[in-house]
Amino acid sequence: MFSLLAQITWKQWRVHRLRTLLTLMGIALGVAVFFAVRTANLTLISSLTLTIEKLAGKATLQITGGEAGFPEAVWDTVRDTPGVRVAQPVIEVIANTAFEDEGNLMVVGVDMLGDSELREYQFDEEGTEIADPLIALAQPDSILVSRIFAEKHNLKDGDKLPLFTSQGRKDFIVRGIIKPAGLGEIFGGQIAVMDVFNMQFVFNRGRNFDRIDLMNESDVTVDELQKRLRERLAAGIEVGRPASRGQGIENAVSAMRIGMTVASFVALLVGVFIIFNSFSISVNQRWKEIGILRALGVERPNVQRMFLGESVLMGIIGSALGVVLGFFFAVGAERVMSDIASKIFGYVATQQPPVFRWDYALTAFVVGVVTSLIGAWLPSRAASRLNPIMALHNIETRQRENVLGWTRMLIGAAMVVSGLALIRFAPARVKLDIQYGYSLLMLFGLILLLPKLTEWIARLMRPFFDRLFGSEGLIAVDTMILSPRRTSATVGALMIGLMFVFSMGAYVRSYQQTVSTWMDRMINSDIIISATEMARSRTYHFSEDLSKKVAGIPGVKRIENARIIFVPYADDSIAIVSLETEGWFLRVKDVIEEADSDKARESVIAGEGILAARNFAARYNLGVGDHIRLNTPTEIFDRPIVGIIEDYTSEKGSIFMDRALYKRYWNDSSVDIIEVNLEAGTNANAIKTEIQRVTKGEHRAFIYTNSEYKSWVLNLINGFFVLNYMQMAIAIIVAALGIINSLLISVSERKREIGVLRAIGGLRSQIRRMILLEASAIVIVGVLIGALAGLLNTYFLVRTASIMIGGYTVPFRFPIWIVIASLPFALIIALAAAWWPARKAVNLRVIEALGYE
Amino acid sequence: MMIQLENVTREYGDGKLVHALDGVSLTIDRGERVAVMGPSGSGKSTLLNLICGLDEPTSGVIRIDGADIAGLDDDARTRLRREKIGMIFQTFNLLPTLSATENVALPLRLQGLSRRDAETRANSMLGKVGLAGRSSHRPDELSGGERQRVAIARALIFDPPILLADEPTGNLDSHTGEEILTLLDNLHREYNTTVLMVTHNEEAAAYCDRVLRLRDGRVVKEEVVKATRLGG
Repeated sequence: MFSLLAQITWKQWRVHRLRTLLTLMGIALGVAVFFAVRTANLTLISSLTLTIEKLAGKATLQITGGEAGFPEAVWDTVRDTPGVRVAQPVIEVIANTAFEDEGNLMVVGVDMLGDSELREYQFDEEGTEIADPLIALAQPDSILVSRIFAEKHNLKDGDKLPLFTSQGRKDFIVRGIIKPAGLGEIFGGQIAVMDVFNMQFVFNRGRNFDRIDLMNESDVTVDELQKRLRERLAAGIEVGRPASRGQGIENAVSAMRIGMTVASFVALLVGVFIIFNSFSISVNQRWKEIGILRALGVERPNVQRMFLGESVLMGIIGSALGVVLGFFFAVGAERVMSDIASKIFGYVATQQPPVFRWDYALTAFVVGVVTSLIGAWLPSRAASRLNPIMALHNIETRQRENVLGWTRMLIGAAMVVSGLALIRFAPARVKLDIQYGYSLLMLFGLILLLPKLTEWIARLMRPFFDRLFGSEGLIAVDTMILSPRRTSATVGALMIGLMFVFSMGAYVRSYQQTVSTWMDRMINSDIIISATEMARSRTYHFSEDLSKKVAGIPGVKRIENARIIFVPYADDSIAIVSLETEGWFLRVKDVIEEADSDKARESVIAGEGILAARNFAARYNLGVGDHIRLNTPTEIFDRPIVGIIEDYTSEKGSIFMDRALYKRYWNDSSVDIIEVNLEAGTNANAIKTEIQRVTKGEHRAFIYTNSEYKSWVLNLINGFFVLNYMQMAIAIIVAALGIINSLLISVSERKREIGVLRAIGGLRSQIRRMILLEASAIVIVGVLIGALAGLLNTYFLVRTASIMIGGYTVPFRFPIWIVIASLPFALIIALAAAWWPARKAVNLRVIEALGYE
Repeated sequence: MMIQLENVTREYGDGKLVHALDGVSLTIDRGERVAVMGPSGSGKSTLLNLICGLDEPTSGVIRIDGADIAGLDDDARTRLRREKIGMIFQTFNLLPTLSATENVALPLRLQGLSRRDAETRANSMLGKVGLAGRSSHRPDELSGGERQRVAIARALIFDPPILLADEPTGNLDSHTGEEILTLLDNLHREYNTTVLMVTHNEEAAAYCDRVLRLRDGRVVKEEVVKATRLGG
């Protein structure tokens, strides 16, 4: 029996090649996105971790103290700890060279006298006159560069390398070229090595180090040594294996990774609809065949098995294609992700080709096959339940009533309402996976409502189509109404794709507007000077000297220094925003909520209390009066929250404190942002030019006027959403495939009907118009229902996902223009998709069409 | 007795009931050929559907080769059909994507025969219905008469004790129709199949041993005819 049913299926595929191909592509794309996202996630983490590993060299333990580093005294303590064989201090800075068109250069500061025990330095012998470059590096102007970097800039031993440092532009002398192995290949070879003590000075690290890399004596285990060190060092200083730092990176970029994963599930969901659509139509098309098989003695379960078997086969082929395609997608996705990791999160990736993981491939493959089975389940069940007598006469008796029945409708409505209620009233601390269930509940509810909604909208459209397009318009709409199953399958694929596009679009827009309003309130300095063109740099900062220089420019009334660092908190990290609060409060009014504003201000300025961002307070369930305890390189930091503020600095949550308080605990006087306030009546652009003149050739500084800064921030946000835009594009492609598929099939399914229309006098042009109008009508319904689904999903995003992933409260906004703007695009896709079937339909021979069996 | 109906009724609809068959009793012996005639809506097709197990009676007993099929579930009725009943239809009902051989081989393959054996027998059967040279053609490449020959070959390939024919000549011109009836007649002599044929055509009925006339779901007349036997 199986081989016979397989033969029948195979013949179907051969006859309906295009339908088969489109369905396979639907599965393949869904699986490809799913596989690509997982592979890209993995590759990204491994690229980021590789940088750490290569930098760590042979170190078995690393001592870190958060982004602000720790005092030199820690090095002495570490060296004096029994069991430590080698301990070497390190500073890492992503700096900029003064070469034109040059990107970032990673500068690693090491102690020249002992570092070769830890790290592999292979020097190019050729043309080197220096006996030991590491010793030579002890001279304050010395630098080693990788061969890749040297070749790119034609640098030889003894040449000058100009770098922007916290002390301004400085020329360094190349005193060695490192071979592209080990250390020399990190960050694509954009790497240089300097003396760590020299770096302390030129990059304004005071008497601090970023890290100590160490090796244990052979008679002490790593765990034992780790324990000893922890006992001796302050609580804010971490002792861990190099590999464990990868976890921190994973946490830091988690928001991006979760967002990607969610979007990849959407692609799969659209895939389910394509399969559902394709199989529904296939069942419709094969009624008579099913009737014949039933009459010849094929039992119901075997009919269902035939379709399910077909879907499994489709799943197998489509998923295999998807895995191959996904691997190529992963290359692109990983590039975008590592770009975001470096721009937004400040992490450096050492590019690697995507890692092909068999377990990921197998998971994607299985997910694809299961998705295919799920999509085909209902149509195959419907096929097995066909009334064979009616099927033999090619009459649709299939559960039109069921599809449009009130029971189904009520269940659907109940699901949508409960989904909404859960989003509105369920506690915020529920896990994210469960919260996604609320959105799925609404979605499945909508799927149940689809046939009825489609019918209602189609009935509403009927008079308009009648008036605008005459009888062809009427027939087009009536065809939709009469085949609720077929129409709603297409509308469903469109709905899912558009829901994703609309809700993401609405969310991004709403987020941008919120940040924009927030910036208007918070960022009102006339000029902002940033140390990096990225959102932030973990390593490169200004010194206060630059601020003093800027403060001296005539027309500048006051400057404020700001520093933003990330520190570990609970099992994650949070941002500390340290500001010169006295000045800040002068220009930023009424920002403190849930407390007496005047008292809170005084307390923050005096360094007695801190302000917590709303997202931080919400995430950790804290409020005014609660104390925040943090480990610092000096002693335990403990201050009460004295007020809550709206803030979008980090999705992890942030706290605000006075700069003096920060400097005291973190021993760090670096500056990330200088806010410049001008005397009344001063021209901001003129001062900006003056600041540029003062810093030119001396400091690498990014100087923005107030409005430039705001649009720059909005651009950065856009950069963060690039991945989502990519996913939206794929959702659209998959949805478009769905439309093309169903229109193609619906024409061949209706050969006889078209034959009858032609026989009773329908002109070819009328048939063409009819088919194109039907495609347009389906798109209009799809866009409208997609808008409804988008509206519901936007509510979910702003109420739940946004808070869970981003930690932000974003107001609910649904810009209707996004729906209107999408309509012409959707119409163009549908009309293009319908063009070929329409041509095929008009070229049908009437006699053949009438006798179509 | 090959087919036996006892007081069989079939009603449709929830509110206003339609009596498609109303207390029909009949007996058809092994090898007998019976024509069922009557106007549209008289219950002819319903009778056929009930006998082949595609439909279930509202009440009454239907025995096929001694087994009561009213008590069987859908799968059991389907298997009974697969083993005992060959069917031919007015609209041929061939699978459009399969060749003539593949269509004819279908019942054997459903019974578990290998593809090769089934198709060998199908080709030989196609020879018997005069289509030896058309075995690889698909239905849309065949004429109406040829399609019906394929359908007959499919119906008889597994040597079923019963052949149900629903207007077998209804879609054919009179000459082709006659050819088909002759073919059925010849095959009947070879296989001695019990035949129940629904038809509007008196000439077709003339090939049978008995004619049942139906009206409003009841057998209103039963006549024995001296069957026309071409070449006999």
